[in-house]
Amino acid sequence: MRREPVRQLFARLTTLLGSESANLELKWMKQAHVTSTFPTDLSTMLERRLRGEPLQYILGTTPFGPLELLTRSPTLIPRPETEDWTMRLANVISPTSNRPISILDICTGSGCIPLLLCHLWPPGSTRAYGVDISPAAIRLSIDNAAKCEIPAPTHISERFSRNTFLPVLHDIFDADFWTSLHPPFDVVTSNPPYIPHHEYEQLPASVKDHEDPKALLGDPPGSSNQDGLSFYEHIAFLIGQKGILKDNGVVALEVGQGQADAVEKILHKTSGLRKTEIWKDPWDKHRVVVGYA
Amino acid sequence: MSSPEDITRARQIKDLQPLHDAWVQWTHTRESLQETLPLLADTDPAMRALASEEYNSLTSTLTSHVQEIFPQLLVPPSTTQHLSAMMELKSGVGGSEASLFLADLLRVYTRYANVNRWKTQIVASNQTDGGGLKDAIVEVKGDGAYDALRWESGVHRVQRVPATEASGRTHTSTVAVIVLPLAEEPEKMNCDDDLFSMEDVKIEVMRARGAGGQHVNKTESAVRLTHIPTGITVSMQDERSQHQNKRRAFQVLRSRLMDIKITKDIENRRTTRRNLVRTADRSEKIRTYNYAQDRVTDHRIGLSLMNLASFMEGDGVQDFLDALKRNHDEDVMEEMIADID
Repeated sequence: MRREPVRQLFARLTTLLGSESANLELKWMKQAHVTSTFPTDLSTMLERRLRGEPLQYILGTTPFGPLELLTRSPTLIPRPETEDWTMRLANVISPTSNRPISILDICTGSGCIPLLLCHLWPPGSTRAYGVDISPAAIRLSIDNAAKCEIPAPTHISERFSRNTFLPVLHDIFDADFWTSLHPPFDVVTSNPPYIPHHEYEQLPASVKDHEDPKALLGDPPGSSNQDGLSFYEHIAFLIGQKGILKDNGVVALEVGQGQADAVEKILHKTSGLRKTEIWKDPWDKHRVVVGYA
Repeated sequence: MSSPEDITRARQIKDLQPLHDAWVQWTHTRESLQETLPLLADTDPAMRALASEEYNSLTSTLTSHVQEIFPQLLVPPSTTQHLSAMMELKSGVGGSEASLFLADLLRVYTRYANVNRWKTQIVASNQTDGGGLKDAIVEVKGDGAYDALRWESGVHRVQRVPATEASGRTHTSTVAVIVLPLAEEPEKMNCDDDLFSMEDVKIEVMRARGAGGQHVNKTESAVRLTHIPTGITVSMQDERSQHQNKRRAFQVLRSRLMDIKITKDIENRRTTRRNLVRTADRSEKIRTYNYAQDRVTDHRIGLSLMNLASFMEGDGVQDFLDALKRNHDEDVMEEMIADID
C-alpha cells in the first residue's frame, strides 16, 4: 500500500533534483531510516523534501569532517565550505597540551567550527568558546558538544586534560560583550551572517524558508549598510580592542561570494591587522579571510 | 604489549607454520610405518589385517605428501598473502540484464567472504531501476582476501533468459570484475605515502554550487581525484560527506596504484613471467555462466561445473578458486624447474 506513493514521490523528486541527486538522496534517506530509532517513514521524508525542506533537517544530522553533527531547524546547517576551511585551519595551527590555546567562535550556530577544532587538536590543547544570539543555536551546540564528547570546562575536564567547549548566549553588539568571556584569545573564528538583503530574496526556498534569517542576513534591519558586511565591521572592531587577540593570534572569517577584498580591508583598517590572506574554497571561490596579529 | 618487531616475528612464525606442520606429519607417519612393517608378518591373522589396513592408510598419507603437500611448499610464499581486497564490478554489454547479473555476482562474493569470515562493505554502488546494479565497489577485509579473490579479475559472461524478458529469448551479457589489493589506510589522510606524492594528485569537487556558502544548503559531496603521472581518475559520491568521499577516493587510488606496483614486481620476477601473460589482461573473458545448460565454465583452465545454483547460491566459487590457485602454483613450480635446467 505504501509502495506506490513512495514511487510517485520519488518520481517528483527526480524531476526536482535530477536523477543522480534524487537517487543519492533517496539512498541516504533509506540509510537514515534503517539506522535504529528514526522517527519518520520514507514517504514522510520524501514529502518534506518535496516541500523544499533541506535534507539535513529531515535526516537530523550532517557530516562535518569526521564528525556527525545534529541539525535542527532553524539553526544554520553547517556547509561543506566551512568544513573545508576549518580542516585547513586545524592543520595550520598546531597547539599541544604543553602550549594550550583558547579560541573564540563568534556566531557559533551549531558549534561546528569549535567542535571540529576540539576534535582534531590533541587532548588538553584547546579551550574553545562559542557565542550566539539564538537560544536555539546554543541548545543545539550544547547537544552537539555532548554528541562529539567535548565537555564544558570544569575542574574535572581540566584534570583529565580534555579539550573543552563552552557555548555562551550573548549578543555581540551588546556593550558588555566581553564580560562573560575570558580574553585574550589565540584564535578567533567566525562564519557570521553575510548575505546582503537584495540577495536574500533570491535564495533557494530550502535556505530562505527553513534556515534562521538571523544566521543569514548580513545587516541588521534598518542598518545603513546593505552590502552584508555589518558583522565584519563589528567583529573587526571587537578584535581590534586591546587585550582581546594575543600576539601571534589568528583570525579566520568566512565570507560570502565577492566579499573577501572588502573584509580584508576592514581587518586592515579597523583591527589594525597588517598581515592577511584569502583562502579559496573547494569550488574555487574566495571564502575565508585570515588575519595574523 | 606487542611491538612492531613482535608482530613481524609472529607473522614469520605463522608463515612457517605449514612447513613445520608438513614435516612433523611426514616424520610421524614414517615412524608409524616403520612400526607397522614388522606386524605385516605377524602370526595373528587379525593383527595382520589391521596392520595391512594401517599400512595402506599410512602410505597414502606419505604419497599425498610427496605429490601434493611438499610441492605446495615449494611455491614461494605470496608477497600479498596478508592483504585485503577491493573488488570493482562494472556491468558491460547487456544493459539491465548485465546489472541484474552484477547484483547476483556481488551476492556470490559477499557470501564467499562471509564463509571465510572476511568483512565486506559496499563503498560505492549505482542502482538501476530494475533492482540491479550498474556498478559497485566492495571492500573485502581480512587476511588472504586478495590472494583468494584475485583470480576473479576479468570478464564474466552470462547467458540466460532475463527475468524481465517476456519472449523467453536468451541474452548474453557481461560483467567486468577487477580485484585490487586493499592498501592499509595511512594514519594521516591526504599526505604523501610510498605509492604517490600529494603533488601529483589533483582533487576536484564536482558540480557548480553557485555562490556557495550560506547561499546554498544542497548536499554536493562528490569528489574526483586525478593521479597525474598515471592518468588514473577516481570519482566518489556515495557518502553525504565530502570528507568521507575524499577518504574513500584516496583508498581506491591507493589500491589501483598498489595493483600497478604488484604487477610490475611480478613482471620483474622472471619465474612468473609466463603466468602473467595469462592473467594480466582484464578485458579477457574468463568465465561463462550458461543457464540453459546449467553450467559454469572457466575458460582459463577449461574447467566446467554443472549445477549453476551451487555456484550462485552455494559455495561453488570455492571450487573454481581452488582450481585456479592450483593451476597457478603448478605454473610457478614448472617455471622453477625450468629455471634449474
